[in-house]
Amino acid sequence: MPTTEKSPKSGPSTTAAGAVDVYKIYGKEDSEVRALDGVSVEFAPGQFTAIMGPSGSGKSTLMHCLAGLDSLTSGSVTIGDVSLAGLDDKELTRLRREKIGFIFQAYNLIPTLTALENITLPMDLGNIEYDQAWLDTVIDAMGLRNRLDHRPSELSGGQQQRVAVARALASRPDIIFADEPTGNLDSRTGAEILRFMRTAVTDLGQTIVMVTHDPVAAAYADRVVFLADGKIVDQMDAPTAERVLDRMKRLGN
Amino acid sequence: MVTPVLRLTLRGVLARKFRILLTVLAVVSGVAFVSGAFVLTDGVKSSINGLFDELRGEIDLEIRATIAFGDAARATRDPVPTSLMSELANIPGVRTVEANILREATIIDTDGDPLRSSGPSFGIAWVGPDGLDGRILLEGEVAQGPDQVTIDKSSARRAGYEIGDRVTIVGPTGKGEFSLVGLTGTKSTSGGGGASVSAFDPETADTFLGANGFADSLYIGLDDGVDADDVIDEVTAILPATFEVIPGEQSAEETAGAINDIIDIFGNVLLGFAAVSLFVSAFLIFNTFAIIVSQRMRELALLRAVGASTRQIRSMIIGEALVIGILATALGLLAGLGVASAITAVFNASGAAFPSANLTISLRTFLVSLFIGLGVTIAAAAVPAVRAGRIPPVAAMRPELGFSALQRNKRLIVGTSTLAAGLALLAIGLFVQPGGAAGTLSSSAIGAILLFLGIASLSTTVAAPISKAISNILPVPFRPMTRTVPGRLASRNAQRTPRRTASTASALMVGLALVSTVSVVAESVKKSFTDQLSTSVTADFFVSSSGFQGLPPAFAEALAEVPELTAVSPFRATNAQVNGSTKQIGAVRGEAFGKLVDIDLREGTIESIIDGAILLHSDPARDLAVGLGDTVEVTWQNGTQSSLTVGGIYEDSSIAGNWLVSLETLSAVSKAPPTDFFIGAKIAEGVSVEDARAAVEAVAVDYPSAEVQNQAEFQQAQEDQINQLLSIVYGLLIFAIFIAVLGIANTMALSVFERTREFGLLRAVGMSRKALKRSIRWEAIIVSVFGATLGIVVGVPLGLSVAWALPDSFITSTQIPIGTIVNILIASIIVGVLAAIFPARRASKLDVLESIATT
Repeated sequence: MPTTEKSPKSGPSTTAAGAVDVYKIYGKEDSEVRALDGVSVEFAPGQFTAIMGPSGSGKSTLMHCLAGLDSLTSGSVTIGDVSLAGLDDKELTRLRREKIGFIFQAYNLIPTLTALENITLPMDLGNIEYDQAWLDTVIDAMGLRNRLDHRPSELSGGQQQRVAVARALASRPDIIFADEPTGNLDSRTGAEILRFMRTAVTDLGQTIVMVTHDPVAAAYADRVVFLADGKIVDQMDAPTAERVLDRMKRLGN
Repeated sequence: MVTPVLRLTLRGVLARKFRILLTVLAVVSGVAFVSGAFVLTDGVKSSINGLFDELRGEIDLEIRATIAFGDAARATRDPVPTSLMSELANIPGVRTVEANILREATIIDTDGDPLRSSGPSFGIAWVGPDGLDGRILLEGEVAQGPDQVTIDKSSARRAGYEIGDRVTIVGPTGKGEFSLVGLTGTKSTSGGGGASVSAFDPETADTFLGANGFADSLYIGLDDGVDADDVIDEVTAILPATFEVIPGEQSAEETAGAINDIIDIFGNVLLGFAAVSLFVSAFLIFNTFAIIVSQRMRELALLRAVGASTRQIRSMIIGEALVIGILATALGLLAGLGVASAITAVFNASGAAFPSANLTISLRTFLVSLFIGLGVTIAAAAVPAVRAGRIPPVAAMRPELGFSALQRNKRLIVGTSTLAAGLALLAIGLFVQPGGAAGTLSSSAIGAILLFLGIASLSTTVAAPISKAISNILPVPFRPMTRTVPGRLASRNAQRTPRRTASTASALMVGLALVSTVSVVAESVKKSFTDQLSTSVTADFFVSSSGFQGLPPAFAEALAEVPELTAVSPFRATNAQVNGSTKQIGAVRGEAFGKLVDIDLREGTIESIIDGAILLHSDPARDLAVGLGDTVEVTWQNGTQSSLTVGGIYEDSSIAGNWLVSLETLSAVSKAPPTDFFIGAKIAEGVSVEDARAAVEAVAVDYPSAEVQNQAEFQQAQEDQINQLLSIVYGLLIFAIFIAVLGIANTMALSVFERTREFGLLRAVGMSRKALKRSIRWEAIIVSVFGATLGIVVGVPLGLSVAWALPDSFITSTQIPIGTIVNILIASIIVGVLAAIFPARRASKLDVLESIATT
């Protein structure tokens, strides 16, 4: 029978994830590129945060570093109260499985697995027993009840992204990272996905950090963090699409 | 509960059915060779052993001459005088004594041609089904008196004879005509297990088979309840010292053992080819998995991102290999049964009549096949699996970060050291030759494997420039392909992933390297042989036997009487020990041999052997430190010892071997019935070639197994034999090349799949289906010509070093077969075209819009 692997020690915490003085530098000397140039940021539990910035601002890199997918040049990142510094590949894998959920822009699902199998994949991989009641709640909230036996190729783009959201939620992670989750969808389907994500935060108490360049998408968040040239340049609470667009225009200059 | 890794593995296999099937096919042929070799040798051995067990019948004891050395079953033994029989029969407990006489005797079929069979043809003494041996009478009567014979049923049927017919049989004393009175067989077969058997009553056998009062051995049957050990003591007491008595079981076991050894050699040859085709398959499996892993990088990275551990990813890939291995082993075992029955059928069609060889898969066959099938697949998939585990999770979002940059230096180091280790082992195996044949063979084989792996690894470095060079040269007589868009694309694609091009070509490289090695060695052997033959043969005619047992001595004696010939000498040989090691000593007619074969005599005279001297080759003369006039101590097989004076030393051993004595010297010490390997004859002065040939043919009419050849025909016959052997070797190597073709087809199919979007784009901007197909075909040709070039570059020096390593008596000059090499290059172009058929068709059928939409 499955034995639950011991997870890195955790306890109640005031931040879901945080970065302190994070640098990510590619190349050397002359050809040096500072993708992240001293970023410090915190994400409160139960909040929906959007990270915005023009292309090349370092927003994706920040997310990859926060999620333990990419290594830092210097600085520190914590998920819950676990510091990612010094975790080896095995520990990082377990952390991703148990404390982090992912929603990518595209290619979110394993093509050979059904929708349900994709949703439970992280827990299956870790031999973690699932909370059936919570799983049902998530599946119903995402409106996937009738699609569970379908393969990804039999689902529409919006349905595929809903499965990805459900997978991210299923293991009740400390934090969910979404990388342009609506980038490949038309605006109506995209709005639907964003509403689902909003629901997950408001009704189910999840924490989501979303990278986007779309002001409309950012408007669904509780807070927006603006990034430019690898630095955090501004923040905005209770954003609206107009205000975000306005701020972005000024960033562009 | 199904674990997620298992589920992912199985789904992964199902999603890639076609690719998996191709990979399975590659492994199947290797496993089939392995299991086929075991199934066949097991089956044939058990039926041969069964046959000998049946033939042993009720023989309780056997009396035979002792031998001083050598293999009990294959040694030439002196005959036993039948005069001992009456004395033996008087021993209490002895029920009956029979003479065992077995000599070459060929049945002439109803068309007047000698009956061909895959085994020996012999005549025996037979008292009938009540006698001691296990032969039974299937129809008719037992032969009685000098005018009757029985034949085994299957030979009678093939020769077209029925009971009551007059049958012509040629025995050691010449031609005889008999009335066929009965058909014989054994309990399980109507034939003789490949032999054709004519049975006579003991008196007829004694005269017609030329036994003249001597039997090969004597069979004793005991009364019921008599203890064999008691009788053995009494028998031993009356036997002369040079005879021994053994239990019937022992004799049967010795004979069966000798045959089992031969069957094992055959089985080992099959295993050798199994090794080659498995080695080639390993490249294919490695390649397929490497490509599948890189194509699935995003999927694997996604799995890593959502929490799959490195180990889980590795197990998933290994799991897929395991599925392939299991499928391939199962199919391979079945195919092995097919291989074995096909070989049995081929033998039976040529008249072997295997006593219904029961082909079964023994536990050992199963386990060895499983171990090899799984082992090869998993070993080949190990490296791709490790690489898959190393894919960083971030590659799910940024595929460009998927694989770390190629570690060119590391590969150069690994490749060079593997190559160096391979060359060293090969050199040790070939030239130092440690631990006899087994050591030489295993050291050279491991060396060759390392050599191939090293070259395969290093070839990545040269894959791009050589592909470029090939595409600039091909096709030579027309415009180089790089002048056209499809050709340029093909060339660039071949250069784009040098690693893939190199490993795809490697499979073909191994197959073709072996082909060129074999052809260099074979051509060199052939050349050395013909060189020697043309300088050393001075005889006008050679008569050799098409049968198994050589020619009866009566033939040479008859030829000696022909006035159209001046010099006639048979060549026969026996084993003897000189200085403690066993040598083959040839015997010839001293008066004639010098006129037939030029042995390049350095000292002494050939005629000296008439007076009992021995001639020897300069090599053993040097080893023994003897010269003209010194004596050599020889122990013959029956234990007789002779001191022979060295009467001459010669240089050319191609026909005469290393030791020569006269026929008289041999017959003085050996009572065993002699047979002649071949007879040489020279035409008398003033006689035309046609007249001489007619005279020889006239004598040969009575000896159906004799083949009369002039010098050119004799040389041609020897070359044909080598060619025949070669064609078998090439035929089996074709399997390895077939696997390589599968490999190229597989890689091309995977590449097409990978480049779907690119093809869509090309079609969208106006490339025709035909041009697209041509581009893929050219790419496959570049890859296979690259493989063939590597194969020739590796194989030819390998063949030359093997040729140099072989002893001088075997190879004196080396020859590079330019024709074969050109053929290999042409064949590789065909291989490329064949391998591209399916992938090209698939690429040309892609829908333009769908392809472009593919991510």
